[in-house]
Amino acid sequence: MKLTDHITPECIKTDLIAEDKDEVIEELVETLSNSVECCDADVILHAVMERENEGSTGLEKGVAIPHAKCEKVDRLRIVIGISREGIDFDSQDGKPSRIFFLMIAPPSEAGPHVQAIAKIVKMASIEGVIEKLIKAGNAEKVLEIIDNVENGG
Amino acid sequence: MDNVNPLHNILLYVDGSESSVLAARMAITMAKVYGSNLRVMYVVNESLLNELLKAKIFVKVEKMDYERDIEDDAKRYLNYVKKLAEGKGVQLDTVLRKGVVYEEVLREVKEYGADLVIQGELGEVQSLKDSFYEEGERILRKVSCPVMVVRGKEKIESIFEAL
Repeated sequence: MKLTDHITPECIKTDLIAEDKDEVIEELVETLSNSVECCDADVILHAVMERENEGSTGLEKGVAIPHAKCEKVDRLRIVIGISREGIDFDSQDGKPSRIFFLMIAPPSEAGPHVQAIAKIVKMASIEGVIEKLIKAGNAEKVLEIIDNVENGG
Repeated sequence: MDNVNPLHNILLYVDGSESSVLAARMAITMAKVYGSNLRVMYVVNESLLNELLKAKIFVKVEKMDYERDIEDDAKRYLNYVKKLAEGKGVQLDTVLRKGVVYEEVLREVKEYGADLVIQGELGEVQSLKDSFYEEGERILRKVSCPVMVVRGKEKIESIFEAL
């Protein structure tokens, strides 16, 4: 399972305009629905918000992984959003989150979904990767960095 | 020596990936050609789910929910491989386990007395073994019997079709 198989350039936003938690989730879901025809933004938004209400997916070091299972996507979809200013996402270390990996998959893709979440967690733990992604500036560069990490570069 | 089948028991490890389907076709082919017993196993990666729970990425109920979904998926997948084998006149049995993937495969190799483990292609990660999980690679490194890593889609599909 390669992360880059589930991320398209259209699903990467390197200049989020959102200013709070709800807005960033809405912006990520909107980015997804604008780039993928077969998805229902309202249902996905509800699923992600509902999951987020169970406990924040804001981790440490500026990373957040909002996620949910949803029948309204055809397969595992990953949206990446970057905020240079940072957004309060109730993160574990209390610091603003700067990079967001929205991950939505149908229940029938629970296996790849879990693997992808784990891969992002591992990737985020590699020294310097998150900083590189935040500074990437465009979608192609973000994909290139992830591809390099996945291929051991 | 003529009466000894060196591949009496073949264990096929699948994980739901496309390369697993290819491995399944190869395993079914070999079981038919060599008259081997074939067992197919899927391991729900419970340790990974527990890690995500511990890291607070999953909440408890969510972890259980994902585990159930993966288990359902595994059953569907094992059933698919079984049907694939039956279509070629090969009987197999299925095993579904939960736990640390390579540990469960190692245990099964011992209990089943596997002469060969067949699995799909390994991931592409080469130099970040500590950072990225690659269960197939762990199996390859740890298992005590020969392991066949299957690749070569066109070749295998043509062999399987001709079977």
